Amino acid sequence: MTNHLPAVVIDNGTGYTKFGYSGNNDPQFIIPTSIAVRDSVGQAGSARGQTVTGNLASKRGIEDLDFFIGDEAVANAKTYSVHNPVRHGQVENWDLMEKFHQACLFQYLRCEPEDHHFLLTEPPLNAPENREYTAEIMFESFGVKGLYIAVQAVLALAASWTSGKGDQTLTGTVIDSGDGVTHVIPVAEGYVIGSSIKHIPIAGRDITYFVQQLLRERENSIPPEETMEVARRIKEMYSYVCPDIVREFRKYDVDPATWFKRHEFVHSVTKKPYHVDIGFERFLGPEIFFNPEIASSDFLTPLPEVVDGVIQSCPIDTRRGLYKNIVLSGGSTMYKDFGKRLQRDIKRFTDDRLRASETLAQHNLKMANSQDQVKAGQLEVKVVSHKKQRYAVWFGGSLLADTAEFYNCCHTKAQYEEYGPSIARYNKVFGSML
Amino acid sequence: MILLETSNKILEETLRERFNSGPEHLLIKLADFDGVTYQIATPESKTQLVISMAMGCYDECQRYGADAILQREYGSLLVSTPEPGFAVTLKIDLEQLPATPEAKEQLVQQVAHLKRNALAAPFESAFVAQCEGRTTDLMAVHYRDAEAIYCQAQADRVTVIFSTVFKEETDRIFGKVFLQEFVDARRQPAIQNAPQVLYSAREPPLEIRGQPGLVDDENVGYVTFVLFPRHYATPQARNEAIGRLQLFRDYLHYHIKASKAYMHSRMRARVDQSLKVLNRAKPEQPGANKEKKTASGKTFRRM
Amino acid sequence: MPAYHSAFNAPGGRMAGNMGIIPIKSKIRGPAPPAPEDQEDVIDEAIDFFRANCLFRNFEIKGPGDRTLIYLTLFIQECLQKAAKTATLADGQRQLMTLAVSNFPIPGDAGFPLNTMFEKPANRADADLLRAYLTQCRQELVTRFTQRLYEQDKPSKWWMSFSKRKFMNIASVGTTM
Repeated sequence: MTNHLPAVVIDNGTGYTKFGYSGNNDPQFIIPTSIAVRDSVGQAGSARGQTVTGNLASKRGIEDLDFFIGDEAVANAKTYSVHNPVRHGQVENWDLMEKFHQACLFQYLRCEPEDHHFLLTEPPLNAPENREYTAEIMFESFGVKGLYIAVQAVLALAASWTSGKGDQTLTGTVIDSGDGVTHVIPVAEGYVIGSSIKHIPIAGRDITYFVQQLLRERENSIPPEETMEVARRIKEMYSYVCPDIVREFRKYDVDPATWFKRHEFVHSVTKKPYHVDIGFERFLGPEIFFNPEIASSDFLTPLPEVVDGVIQSCPIDTRRGLYKNIVLSGGSTMYKDFGKRLQRDIKRFTDDRLRASETLAQHNLKMANSQDQVKAGQLEVKVVSHKKQRYAVWFGGSLLADTAEFYNCCHTKAQYEEYGPSIARYNKVFGSML
Repeated sequence: MILLETSNKILEETLRERFNSGPEHLLIKLADFDGVTYQIATPESKTQLVISMAMGCYDECQRYGADAILQREYGSLLVSTPEPGFAVTLKIDLEQLPATPEAKEQLVQQVAHLKRNALAAPFESAFVAQCEGRTTDLMAVHYRDAEAIYCQAQADRVTVIFSTVFKEETDRIFGKVFLQEFVDARRQPAIQNAPQVLYSAREPPLEIRGQPGLVDDENVGYVTFVLFPRHYATPQARNEAIGRLQLFRDYLHYHIKASKAYMHSRMRARVDQSLKVLNRAKPEQPGANKEKKTASGKTFRRM
Repeated sequence: MPAYHSAFNAPGGRMAGNMGIIPIKSKIRGPAPPAPEDQEDVIDEAIDFFRANCLFRNFEIKGPGDRTLIYLTLFIQECLQKAAKTATLADGQRQLMTLAVSNFPIPGDAGFPLNTMFEKPANRADADLLRAYLTQCRQELVTRFTQRLYEQDKPSKWWMSFSKRKFMNIASVGTTM
């Protein structure tokens, strides 16, 4: 530790950026990936329909440093214009992203980038050009010592090693559910099987909406402008996944005292307290992963079915490993018993399929007049939940960047100067023998 | 976003959270500018917060009275034998925090300034000495591997000299431009009171010539600040001066990086424009010379 | 995991149209065959599954039991709408009972909302049987359901919150209220 300062791990998500020093259990900062810049109104640049870039030319002095990121950006939304440089996991505006990094490093982490190694993350199926852009920013602007760009899903797999269950492999299916989208990403030996990735338009925000809708149909004590916030809080504090809805309803009928909850909220403006009774939304909210039909009319495939389909579409020799190590990542997988239910439902699919193939094989044998019994091998389905699930990607990065191996796998500044940005196109997979 | 703060934001936020919520097991390692690392931990019990700082140049600061400053700032929080591998260790009992939120916040701020306070030693001793009319020897603090701060109280002034290394050619040029701007900016009437700034590349200034460990290299630059009593006579001015002086190097490098980022965004804009021109300049496809239709439905071929 | 189905889907019972005359536990006079007292019948099922099933928009009919289940689920929805305007348990019991015996269409009639899935009874006798059977079911359901619905002498909000849900996108079974 004495010869290396800790590496910096930055995970830029669509909604939030998680960043901090490696070797820690939690990111030091979790801030919205937003940047507030001053848009000079009525300038020639904006009239020409150009973005912020155009305006910069007419600036003198240090106006380009007049910006805020994260929560401060949101707080200054009135006088500045707020932008989100990351959309759908991909960086859209590199100018703003560069500034965002600049503030992250100097203001928040207070590190001299020339002294540190960096681990950044990228979404699956990121274009290699984006990696080059990232390398350009990190090496040219900041002159970092070393850079490694890791795929988020692989980091999520690495993060699951701490659960103590399961082997330390880089093969597995990652279910990453944040606020906007849920991804199902199969990874084999550290490589993402890109053609099989599936996205589901159901995630945290949809649960919040659904809870809000249920509340609106029942509670009239909530001020209309607060319903969204109340729904979000209820979702975060009380939700869990149940094995069976009807049985769950019965539980509530038999023993209302333990299951129904009551929470006191305080109006954010008037500071008046009000009560909200909390009931079936506790389990109906997360239920939309397993029965999307109850909340949405355009997407109807349950999550377990999607996962099963994803794995079935992967090369046959990887499937056993993919079923055996299904890893959860992101805030919307944090509900109690989410993993259990998912495992049970996926298991149902595989068992049905096994049974079908058994009977089929048996039938064929009968035709051949054989008396043998056909028994298919058992298929292990395992969903791994662990404590670091919420920021699994960052945590995986923090874990890997703390190993000695990481420093060997980084692209160094010397390499960059020798070969140029193209070195960042390829990032060595490592960590399998940790 | 223009100025850097003197306190450490992570320390600040972590402490604030610890002070205002229930006990929790904690082990955080983090870094600050100039190779300083911290460790926040709860080794014995969840209510005993131990904050340690490692700093390459602490023994030098110690020589100039850092211990006394830390003793003054932190008093009983200071642990006499720091954790192994660290220079300073503070221990906070979360069960005996100040009662009022204001006092808590003050403690947070104090601890977040740990590095600043430790590094304040040479400056403070020079300022104090000068105010009392004494002169001091040249005090050197090698706060980074190849860079150092020199500080000396003279008969009528305090001189602070930074040496800084630019790892890149471009950085050096940017740095030079910046520092020359400093010299020019001082001519503006509004900031006549600012300390005088001198810049020299490669050649060390007179005051520190002959010091051991000076590197004779293209990439080295020296910045000299000349401070007069008006900059450090009152305690408030003194504190501000110390904070700014310390961060000068990081501030300089931060702005070099920021201007590079700015240049890059200009470059990107230029590339976008050039690409547009290039796209317009594509020759017409041979296949484009096909039959075209008139409004009435007849076809013709443009030659 | 799709919506919940009836346990009485086995074919072979008495039919009217394609709706089964499924045994129920009932003291009310009618054509339904008696069901064993110690087991759940299709009315218990309908009440139990209601809050889960009314969230679903699609329902695959697997047998005669499901048709009865659908009919009763939609009837519960009507009851909830009616119950919203009642003040006390006694009031509710009276009003809902009136609803149960008021004029309602049976499969094949013009006002019946499920004619795509339900067949018209083959002859006059079957139609009369079906109407009598449904009347009996509705009355029995109201008797049992009001016990569950009312809490401290007024409709429970834990049930009433489902009154605006539309099972299979249908709001009622077409009873003229």
